[in-house]
Amino acid sequence: MAHPSQLGFQDAASPVMEELLHFHDHTLMIVFLISTLVLYIIVAMVVTKLTDKLILDSQEIEIIWTLLPAIILILIALPSLRILYLMDEINDPHLTIKAMGHQWYWSYEYTDYEDLGFDSYMIPTQDLTPGQFRLLETDHRMVIPVESPVRILVSADDVLHSWAVPCLGIKMDAVPGRLNQTAFITSRPGVFYGQCSEICGANHSFMPIVVEAVPLEHFENWSSMMLEDT
Amino acid sequence: MSLQKPIMRGLLAKRLRFHLPIAFGIAITVALSYKFGVTEPRKKAYANFYKQYDAVKEFNAMREAGVFESVRPSGK
Repeated sequence: MAHPSQLGFQDAASPVMEELLHFHDHTLMIVFLISTLVLYIIVAMVVTKLTDKLILDSQEIEIIWTLLPAIILILIALPSLRILYLMDEINDPHLTIKAMGHQWYWSYEYTDYEDLGFDSYMIPTQDLTPGQFRLLETDHRMVIPVESPVRILVSADDVLHSWAVPCLGIKMDAVPGRLNQTAFITSRPGVFYGQCSEICGANHSFMPIVVEAVPLEHFENWSSMMLEDT
Repeated sequence: MSLQKPIMRGLLAKRLRFHLPIAFGIAITVALSYKFGVTEPRKKAYANFYKQYDAVKEFNAMREAGVFESVRPSGK
């Protein structure tokens, strides 16, 4: 989850998010390069009295300031397209979960083998126990097996929502009447937080997402226990 | 004694020849500083973290700390 005064991304918990982090670093480096150059030129132009009113054209500099941006754009586009195609690779998921957005909670359905479904409401601030995170905890977490490819089918029951977990590098719009698909693998066990990312009414900020990644045998025990409870 | 004729032409070009290499130099220095100060250390940090990562040990530590709701602490 995010921590106070955080500037950058959350620590990656999936391989795709790691790639996105490195790509962001690469692109930001280029942004700093261009911004520094432009800032220097602006300051130099502002403090000078020298001008040349008779300059009409200059082929050399026009070639430079056409080619250089084109090269920079290619340097950004190539890693970007690499990650785009990486995210779309056939990944043969071990598990498919349906995440449905409602006003104002998420519901999860695990229907691969049995019919398991439950709602996930935010825990109100006054009901939190010490150590829990305000506006991020839910009564039921979406539990998945760690290091297993998981497919999430995202949709909504009423208005637009968006299922987002930043440290997994996932954001997928939940559109009523539409099934959106995304997939991920968690690199390590843990608890990963996200929040609804499409304005959906009064309690849009109060329908968080919690993903819990545990080893497979514990996931199986949990799903058996959940089936007995329902 | 006569004064030397002052330079009256090419002043802007001279200024550009002085400042543009400095501008490019500073911009490239900033970019390289970010690359070797942030980008490469971050890549190494992730590589080192997963090189020595023991998922079972970390899972058990988190389990005993009560982080998970699907798995209760074993009490060991």
